[in-house]
Amino acid sequence: MKALSKYSNKVLIVQFLILVIPTLIIVGYGLFRLNNFYSILENNYLSQTFYFVIGLISSLILYRYNFRFISTFSLLLLINLIIYDVIERLNIGEFDVFYYSVKFYILSVLFCFGWLIGYAFTRNKTIVILWTTFLVFTEVITLSKTNNFEINSIVTSIIPAILYFVFILFSYELIKKYKSNPKQLYSKSIKQLSLFGILILIFLFFTSQLFKHDFKAIEKEWGGGKSKDNKSNNGQGESMTENGKDGGIKNKDQSKLAGNLNKDKQLVFVAKLNNYFVNTNIPNPLYFTANYYTKFDTATQTFEIDDKMPFNDLFSPNPSEIPLYFKKTDSSIIKKSLGILNREIISAEVYKVAMSPESFVAPSNAFYCQPITVPDEFKDKYKSAYLSKMWVSQLNSAYFIYNPAGNKMLENFQEDRFEILRTISNIKGPNKSFDDYYTYMPKNTEYNRIKILADSITKDFVAPIDKVIAIRNYFLSKDQFNQPLYKYTDNPGVPGLPSANKLNYFLFENRKGYCAYFAGATLFMLRSLNIPSRIAVGYLTEDRSSKNPGWYWFYHDQAHAWVQVYFQNYGWIDFDTTIPDVNTQQASQPDGTPPPEVPATYLVIDGEITKVDTLNKKLTVNTKKFLYHDTEFVSQNFIVTINDVSLADIHNDTGKVSLNKLVEGERATLVSHAEVLKNIFISDDKTAEKLLKKLKQPLPIDEVKLMKKIEEKDKKQNKNKELNNKFNWVNFFKVLLVCITIAIILIFCMPILIFLFFKTKIKFRGKSQIAAIQRTIHFYLHQLKSLPINEKSPSIIAQLIDNKFGTKMIVLNNLYQKCYYSKQPLTNEEENYLQQFYNSNFKLISSKFSIKQKILSFINIKQTINYFNITK
Amino acid sequence: MENISETIKPESTKVDELIKNVELVIKGKTPQIKLVLTALLAKGHILMEDNPGTGKTVLAKTLAQSISNNTNHLEASFKRIQFTPDLLPMDLIGSHIFDDNKKEFVFKKGPLFCNVLLADEINRASPKVQSALLECMAENQITIGETTYPLEKMFFTIATQNPIEMEGTYPLPSAQLDRFFIKLYFGYVDAETELDIYNNYLNIIKNTNNVKPIVSLNEIINMQTECETVFIHPEIVTAVKNIIIQTRQHPEITLGASTRSGISFLKCLKAFAYVNNRKFVTEDDLSNLITPVLDHRLIYRNKEAKQKLLVSFLNKEIERLKKVNLQA
Repeated sequence: MKALSKYSNKVLIVQFLILVIPTLIIVGYGLFRLNNFYSILENNYLSQTFYFVIGLISSLILYRYNFRFISTFSLLLLINLIIYDVIERLNIGEFDVFYYSVKFYILSVLFCFGWLIGYAFTRNKTIVILWTTFLVFTEVITLSKTNNFEINSIVTSIIPAILYFVFILFSYELIKKYKSNPKQLYSKSIKQLSLFGILILIFLFFTSQLFKHDFKAIEKEWGGGKSKDNKSNNGQGESMTENGKDGGIKNKDQSKLAGNLNKDKQLVFVAKLNNYFVNTNIPNPLYFTANYYTKFDTATQTFEIDDKMPFNDLFSPNPSEIPLYFKKTDSSIIKKSLGILNREIISAEVYKVAMSPESFVAPSNAFYCQPITVPDEFKDKYKSAYLSKMWVSQLNSAYFIYNPAGNKMLENFQEDRFEILRTISNIKGPNKSFDDYYTYMPKNTEYNRIKILADSITKDFVAPIDKVIAIRNYFLSKDQFNQPLYKYTDNPGVPGLPSANKLNYFLFENRKGYCAYFAGATLFMLRSLNIPSRIAVGYLTEDRSSKNPGWYWFYHDQAHAWVQVYFQNYGWIDFDTTIPDVNTQQASQPDGTPPPEVPATYLVIDGEITKVDTLNKKLTVNTKKFLYHDTEFVSQNFIVTINDVSLADIHNDTGKVSLNKLVEGERATLVSHAEVLKNIFISDDKTAEKLLKKLKQPLPIDEVKLMKKIEEKDKKQNKNKELNNKFNWVNFFKVLLVCITIAIILIFCMPILIFLFFKTKIKFRGKSQIAAIQRTIHFYLHQLKSLPINEKSPSIIAQLIDNKFGTKMIVLNNLYQKCYYSKQPLTNEEENYLQQFYNSNFKLISSKFSIKQKILSFINIKQTINYFNITK
Repeated sequence: MENISETIKPESTKVDELIKNVELVIKGKTPQIKLVLTALLAKGHILMEDNPGTGKTVLAKTLAQSISNNTNHLEASFKRIQFTPDLLPMDLIGSHIFDDNKKEFVFKKGPLFCNVLLADEINRASPKVQSALLECMAENQITIGETTYPLEKMFFTIATQNPIEMEGTYPLPSAQLDRFFIKLYFGYVDAETELDIYNNYLNIIKNTNNVKPIVSLNEIINMQTECETVFIHPEIVTAVKNIIIQTRQHPEITLGASTRSGISFLKCLKAFAYVNNRKFVTEDDLSNLITPVLDHRLIYRNKEAKQKLLVSFLNKEIERLKKVNLQA
């Protein structure tokens, strides 16, 4: 076989730059994504990309020479097979052989792939097309598996593949075109590729800008979350929480069953829970609930919050909207919780760290929220805090979940609890719609499978509570090899088939998942057994040390989902069926120091700032309602209070604010812990006004908290917009006027512009030059109404012009005809003649017209239009 | 500038000299002279139709006088026949005469055996005589009885005829008309030239008598072969084809152009380009020649069609030529 170089090295370099590097990037990216879903790849995407690229480059270099493809490629395959066989036969121990053969298998597949693509890049266009389409399809399939129809995921998966598709086909043709002419190759390819890049950028920019809203609408339609949420989590995967507008963490509105879960060790909040086991002083931790997921959308495999759920017992105030120390209560929650027995009211203090100031978490059935101040020295750590009260069941505890770990007290407690609940043999909701709603489950074969499983697990039990325990035990059970049947993993992978029901995949095949999988599976098993249940999301409470009893630290990785089951008279009871993560034994988080008690508060004023005196550090506030010694006073009229804020700590939801930043009209809450006020009591007959007047002004204030006035601001903005709109009309007309003027000027300049444009074309050589000269002169004459338009024959027109102006248009015409109808090239003499033809002849024509005539005819657009009509 | 424009003009050839020579006598008729030369160089014949006294005969005579005979540098043989209703074919081609000395019939050549034949008022002769011209014009030979006599190598017929409407004329049969490559309307000269002629008629008459031979017969024959080398673009050939086919298909035309007329059209195009000092055929040639070459071969249903159709075919083809990129 004779190896002849087909192309120059230059072509190779260009191929490397233009074809190989983008391929490397896209393959690396694709492998990175695949590694997230297939455990066989073992997260070695860098070395895998390397194998591919080595194959690609070596075949690119080899096929530069005239090697035959089929023989070389089959040789390569043969060598691969032999090596594979040898590895299999080696006796290094069963596991190692498997390990190495799999590794080699991946290597050889990727290498051969690269080899094939390298061949395609040098010679075969069909394979290039197949390869690029294959890439696009792979991305589409991976996307369909993740069920993640957010704009981000679409952008990050399909668009690179499509861009690559267009780019490779484009540059492949480009290289092919200039292969024979390496001199042009560099300049042309750079030029065309940069143009291509600019076009793509413009396209991307405009589509993203123009269709932003459409994209968002589509996202909502497809059940995606907010697209910005993954920024802090570095992109990939699903997170249980999302970042709020102000950077704090919130629980997501929807929780999807995605391929993997991202968690990190960020402290979210710290809470003190005053819940103790009955008749003891042992702290009883409770799960903190943020939301309930009562609905499962089968189309998007998403659990959803439903505002219309029957007996909506979710209390979700916005703590940042409640003035400090003022309360928000919703006592109807107690009624809606449907819990009568074994319930008590407890309180919890939540100190937010990374949590959004707007969000509210508390153990189930909270009904009371009161923002409180954070002690001065902790203000840097804790941004805000609130006190909440809730109607909780004594049967709930974060402890009893699966393993009381030999703690007799807890085991007893758990048994007691089950005993109590065992009295309920048949769960009945308050009405039928409640039952229907909380036991709803999609009807198809996939869910039938879950039902069959649930039936088989619980066939020996009658009481609903026993069935729940049976399901919990099923997840903890071991298989015939004494290995755990289910495993916990944050990265459960995707099912082998697209569109397969993820829960089925989890339950019957993969048996790996994180809390949402366990909770989801449990939910459907319970519902298939007609036990009303729902998913609660929030935070798992872990009691790590006995140093500060009642205090709990909540980190980002404690975001959790579990199941709540309804028992009549007892209400909703937490059940967590998620099994512990055996693989990653987490080191316990070090707990910090809890914030100390806040000093007693005597006066809280909520009102509008009317005057800011930065010099004397005084704030004048108009108020209608205030708290004094925990009693709320409401006045009909505004009371003017002057407050001394020299010692006060001024802040808003997110941080400290300096006094001079305060604006009149802002709403603020002023808090005073001053001992002076401690002993001034109010007698009953004193009204609000009288009370405040009695207090010596200026009032000593320790804390000022600024409140957001979102609605009013919005209104103001709207008003401004309206005003702007009115002004805009004037501006609009101005702009319109300018535009119209420019357009008119342009229109009148049209003839001269066209003339100049025609004139620029004269610089060309040969036939086009003659045509350009002829056209320019004809246009000029036509504009001056001196072109014999009735004649069709160019030679006669030329003759007529010559007769009138003494030009040599006939010579030009003859040359033109020569260029057009003969195969003889123009002689040098003729070309030289053409070079100066225009100037000399144009002078002759131009001298025949006066300047006035010229100006008048050159603003005559009608004539210009006529010209184009004639030439057509 | 003048100089440059002169330099790029092709050097003046024998054709130019010939034209100049004829123009000494015939004033203001350059296009017609060119067409006559075109027919000559295309090895064809020409039919001139116009009223008497427009210079048809003088043109033919001057042309013949301008061509010298090969050997003796005398002018080429020029014969003129005035066609009349009682003219017989014999009068044209000659007849067998009994030679007393040899005791046999000897063929006495008629006026057809010449280089340039002026058939004056051809449509006044009977169809019998007209058809006698057929063979000699087409095949350059005459057959009498069993003997075939070749004509001169350069045989050029200039026929003149009076407008058909005039009394005492026999319209030429279409087969005969087809033999004429070009039919041209001589027309009167414009007023200026007319005055010029009147002022110088003495000179002109003097010139008429003293026409010098400029080119030899051999040169003419050489030119005729050279004509055939003129480049004609395939697209122009297509245009000719299209025009010919359109004449056959158009409902307003009862008799369309024949294939022979297409060939003579192409020959004329080449010759016309040659006459205009070009080595290639242009669309101008097409538009200059279409009426002289094709018009007399077609039979129209009405006058209107006669005026419009050919021009419309031509315009259509010129439009088409402008659209196709010819140089590729």
